[in-house]
Amino acid sequence: MKTITGALRTRAGVIAATVLAVVLLLAVIGPLLAPYDPLKNSTEILQPPSAAHWFGTDYLGRDVLSRVLAGAPRSVFTAFEAVGIGLVIGVAPGITSVYLGRVYEWITLRVMDGLIALPFLIFAIAVAALLGNAVHQAMIAVGILLAPSFYRITRAAALNHANAQYVTASQLFGASMWWVLRTHVWSKILPTLVVATANATAGGLLIVSSLTFLGIGVVPPEPTWGGIVASDLSYLTQVPYGPVFPSLFIMATVGALNLLADAIRDTSGDYGRARILRRGASRVRLT
Amino acid sequence: MSVSPDSATAVRAAADAAGESGRETLLSVRGLRVSVADGSEVVHGVDLDIPRGSAVGLVGESGSGKTLTCRAVLGLLPVGVEVTGGEISLRGTELTALPAAKRARLRGTDLAAVFQDPASYLNPSITVGAQLAEVLRVKIGLARRAARYRAVELLHAMGLRRPTHVYSQYPFELSGGMLQRVLIAMSITAEPELLIADEATTALDVTVQAEVLELLTELRRDRGLTLMIVSHDLAVISQMCDTVHVFRDGSIVEAGPTRRVLRVPRHPYTRELIENHERFGIDRVRKQRSQQ
Amino acid sequence: MTALLDVSELHVALGRGRKRTEILHGVDLTVAPGEIVGLIGETGSGKTTLARAVLGLVQAQSGTVAIDGREVTGLRGGALRAFRRSGTVQYIFQDPLRSLDPERTVFDTLVEGLVVRGRAELQDAALGVAQLVSLPLDLLPKYPGELSGGQRQRVAIARAIAVDPRLLICDEPVSALDASTRITILELLLRLRESRDIGVLLITHDLGSLGGVADRVVVLYHGRVVETGTTEEIFLAPRHPYTRLLVTSVPSIRDEEPPDPELRRALRDEVRGLAATSADSADIPQITGA
Repeated sequence: MKTITGALRTRAGVIAATVLAVVLLLAVIGPLLAPYDPLKNSTEILQPPSAAHWFGTDYLGRDVLSRVLAGAPRSVFTAFEAVGIGLVIGVAPGITSVYLGRVYEWITLRVMDGLIALPFLIFAIAVAALLGNAVHQAMIAVGILLAPSFYRITRAAALNHANAQYVTASQLFGASMWWVLRTHVWSKILPTLVVATANATAGGLLIVSSLTFLGIGVVPPEPTWGGIVASDLSYLTQVPYGPVFPSLFIMATVGALNLLADAIRDTSGDYGRARILRRGASRVRLT
Repeated sequence: MSVSPDSATAVRAAADAAGESGRETLLSVRGLRVSVADGSEVVHGVDLDIPRGSAVGLVGESGSGKTLTCRAVLGLLPVGVEVTGGEISLRGTELTALPAAKRARLRGTDLAAVFQDPASYLNPSITVGAQLAEVLRVKIGLARRAARYRAVELLHAMGLRRPTHVYSQYPFELSGGMLQRVLIAMSITAEPELLIADEATTALDVTVQAEVLELLTELRRDRGLTLMIVSHDLAVISQMCDTVHVFRDGSIVEAGPTRRVLRVPRHPYTRELIENHERFGIDRVRKQRSQQ
Repeated sequence: MTALLDVSELHVALGRGRKRTEILHGVDLTVAPGEIVGLIGETGSGKTTLARAVLGLVQAQSGTVAIDGREVTGLRGGALRAFRRSGTVQYIFQDPLRSLDPERTVFDTLVEGLVVRGRAELQDAALGVAQLVSLPLDLLPKYPGELSGGQRQRVAIARAIAVDPRLLICDEPVSALDASTRITILELLLRLRESRDIGVLLITHDLGSLGGVADRVVVLYHGRVVETGTTEEIFLAPRHPYTRLLVTSVPSIRDEEPPDPELRRALRDEVRGLAATSADSADIPQITGA
């Protein structure tokens, strides 16, 4: 993964990676750090931040910090799940559409066009209604909707390299399509795909948040960052700063992902690639 | 092989001698130095004299400084590359001292140039005729209809068959040789005295190259155009030029009448170039025949 | 002795539907083992299409291509791949930079054909071909972007030689190179022909560059072979008007007098007349030498 190690040598890359590492850590051990039971109601409702409740309490007297920490795994991993599904459905047809002939190409293009035409939220709500309102069903819906952009991006990148002379040279050796993809095409697509994935993960996190905000996917009282923002918004007149704390976590994660995507893009362009290759070349030794 | 000059060569040599002493110098370059941004010098003091009505060749491999020298004469050096010494004078006017705007006005009216890739000098979305007519209107102030008429006339003079048809075509519809003719037409609209052809036929097929070289010879004969021909191909220079300057690593290693330089090269590098040229190619087959 | 490459009555059309046009109108061509045949054709003559048809990259309409005695025009899919894996015929591109994967080292590039075949002892093979084409061994871990034009073309040739081909098809192998580099690459081709008895089809738009390289020259004009002969015959005594036009168009440093423009003009008119009649399917006269 030359592209990612290259990005990590830039300042933006380091900042983004640090933030993401913290977020991932929270997603794994967050629930253990929660000082209170995130589901336990109390009479101390809508308290401002204090030494006892750093982020204050919500309308049922639950500790907001505990809810944010406990909600981290659900918020982060559901976004990963959606992006993962999108990658699976989008990337493979995107690359193969270039190589498997015109009929296959036409069919995949039309299917992806159809998916793009679907209104996002309405599709998610329809899937929830059809398959039942639960996390995984909602993420399948989001994943399906992310697929067309992955399809387009990988297809465009693959098209750029499918007719390269070195691909022809490879075919003249009798190489199979898979061999050509693995050795010549995949490494050219990867940087673009990594950037797209980072961007899509940021988008996925926002979508998951807005879906839970609408009550789709994760159902109350289970905490997620989007859900906390939603419930806090109802009490905006009493606690105007309420939604700030969960929103900060969403923003930091999304921002870090976008920053990382930028850093990767900057180091993996033609210029960046040449720089990385030079560095790489000086390390390679003929054994 | 014998070096005794036949009659044609003798006539030529006489003409060269007369040219060097008798003809007025159109362009004179003295001690030209060109450096790139990091301070390293790439052209180290080049001297050139181009008599009016002559054809002068600059030959050398890529990176020898021949193209930079002609770019310096045109005042069209790439960004970060500049003239750091020497004089370039056209009919006695010192060019290096002129402000950029005055210099730009000289291009087209006194000096003109054509390069290797004609397509990149034309707007792909405007017909070649309209672009040529525009040059005529801007450079010599012709009215719209007169410019159109003159443009068709020029296209015809460039040897393009069906000039009115060519007038209304877009650059992508024309072959490389036709585009180069259009570019030559544009460059000579304002009747410049010196035309610089920088590898102008390198990318063309040989039969087309021959046609374009013929066109340049005709322009020289009929309009008194002075030619400065930059090429890596000794044979092109041999066919076109009275005198040749051999460039190597930013300096001229040998200069003189083309026949003399090619038949009795004095500098080892010139000998190497000629040997390389005759190592492969049509001249090798002809050399073998002449040795039999 | 059977020909290494035997192209016979090859017709190829490109494009789809109404835009479909025939590029090659029945081409005949042979290359014997150890022979260098120059295929000269200017822009639009169909020379690259011919190469692609021989390699199975475009389909022939009719006619046959036999390589080393084996009919290859009908091969498709798995059978074509299997034939290609035999490495019998290899292709050298004009622009070495674009024909090399910028992200793979010289070493990886050299052994690619062997890896595709599933060979294991790559180290010796890479060192062997690198030495054969005089490629400095310290270049093996480098990337194509760090090499000079001549070195890149050496890599491309070595990559092809590594699979032990019988026939090399070189499409303008030196056009993108400097004069002195050109010579070293052409000398390399001559050496490979000597040492390995490889047949070479050398495709070029520049008739002049074939002197001293090709044994025979095949002149292609508007999708037809108009003249074939030894290089000497073609250069010194061309018979077809198009060949004569080509030969008189090549500038020479040995001309006592510049070639006569009037002669060329007359030839040009004659050749144009031929092109016009050939459109009405009347064949361009064909001249075949010894």
